[in-house]
Amino acid sequence: MECQLVPSVCSYCGTGCGVLFEVINGKIVGTLPMKTHPVNEGKLCIKGWNLHEHVNSFMRLKQPLVKTFGRFIKTDWNEAIQLTADRFREIIDKYGPDSIGVLVSAKITNEENYLAQKFARAVIGTNNVDHCARL
Amino acid sequence: MVMINKVKAWLEDGTVDVFLGYKEIDHHPLPHCFTSEHIEDVADLVVSPVRYPLEKIATHMTAIEPDIKIGMLARDCNNRALNVLFLWNQIKAENIKTLSVNCCPSKLKKHGDCSYLEPEKMGAFKKQVGVDNNLEAEDLDAYGQKERLDRWMYEFQKCIKCYGCRNICPVCFCKECSLEHDELVKTGPLLPEIPIFHMVRAVHMAGRCIDCGLCEAACPMDIPLRLLYGKVNEIVMNLFDYETGSSAENPPFSILGDAVTLEPKPIEAAQTA
Amino acid sequence: MTVKRITFLQELLGLIGLEGRLGLSWISSAEAQKFVQVVSDFTEKIRSLGPNPLPAFSDSRKAAAAELMQLDFKGDGYDQQSQSMA
Repeated sequence: MECQLVPSVCSYCGTGCGVLFEVINGKIVGTLPMKTHPVNEGKLCIKGWNLHEHVNSFMRLKQPLVKTFGRFIKTDWNEAIQLTADRFREIIDKYGPDSIGVLVSAKITNEENYLAQKFARAVIGTNNVDHCARL
Repeated sequence: MVMINKVKAWLEDGTVDVFLGYKEIDHHPLPHCFTSEHIEDVADLVVSPVRYPLEKIATHMTAIEPDIKIGMLARDCNNRALNVLFLWNQIKAENIKTLSVNCCPSKLKKHGDCSYLEPEKMGAFKKQVGVDNNLEAEDLDAYGQKERLDRWMYEFQKCIKCYGCRNICPVCFCKECSLEHDELVKTGPLLPEIPIFHMVRAVHMAGRCIDCGLCEAACPMDIPLRLLYGKVNEIVMNLFDYETGSSAENPPFSILGDAVTLEPKPIEAAQTA
Repeated sequence: MTVKRITFLQELLGLIGLEGRLGLSWISSAEAQKFVQVVSDFTEKIRSLGPNPLPAFSDSRKAAAAELMQLDFKGDGYDQQSQSMA
């Protein structure tokens, strides 16, 4: 019986509370808060308490899915990214660059946020950059 | 050092299969499961000032492998929790070996020197309108009926129904919790059904709560849960003469069919206005 | 077991401030007269304790929530803030 207690960060909102996963025989079976973490100091919301169910859910996506003729078909990453890029190009050509918006988050690093807004302004050509906390 | 050597000896000669203690990872003391395969880790065993419900982890492990032998660091609160879990058949007493460490003062045991329990200061508004978490159980009797209702409802209305109190409680183990049952305690929209949620929890804690205080520490809204459940167990003590965590008998609510000599309060005649 | 639970629950409700609203009486199906008596007495007693105090709390909470939903965010520099981000 392998039992480990792995510290981690909650993957839901931008706050980033510290959690401790109970891992028994390689599977996450429970979630506890980290008492000494400066962000949450031992308290969690209901989403944080149920992370173990979210990780093990049968509904998790394992592959990119493309909607073709109303149904989701499994595909691979290259095709999915190429399709997204082509659709963005189509939308920008048809409706103009301001029809696309980019949302950034406090959970990603500052450098990633900079990259996202650079992508929005230089590549797509729009000023529509906003932050998840303002919603 | 003595502690570390003892744990090493236990792991080496097979007295225990795993040992639950604390290890410091990046300056955070976290619970860690020490095994004989990685016996060199035992050198990092510490007794952390913060407490985690190690009994709960032990219960989960026993549910998967019923005969596993578990050793753990045990403060007094851990020992009381283990006593209750033995009575409710969640762990077998012969499979647990405890290593006692300093404990904390609590209503169920007066003397102790744990560094954990320095009570948090409560704000002035809360003391005025709600219930101060640091009150003694006797002080609660000073309030009148209407005032009690106002104060406790102020506290319960802050609840965000995170289920933290139930999830972290070391003696809560029901697979189907009645708090998640839609027809008993309504689930759904933001405002939880109060006070029924807290009342149901309080009733379930009668004869089970061992005053460890983890629920109050886990509540994001600082609801005085330790005080509430402490008072509940005081009622159990007064009515049934049963001290939770220390008595070796089964708790009073789990025994069917015994003869009781209690009298419920009579239904009085209506008071004329 | 019933007696244990009811006695305990009476104390618990008294702790919260809802004292005297729970009672227990053993009546067999043959004692119809006693049943009528007990129920009438208890109804009078409850009536004398006044209306249910609990909805008042949830009403005030719902009112506070409704007030928050209606707050107007437009006129306090919100638009200027969004322009400075662009």
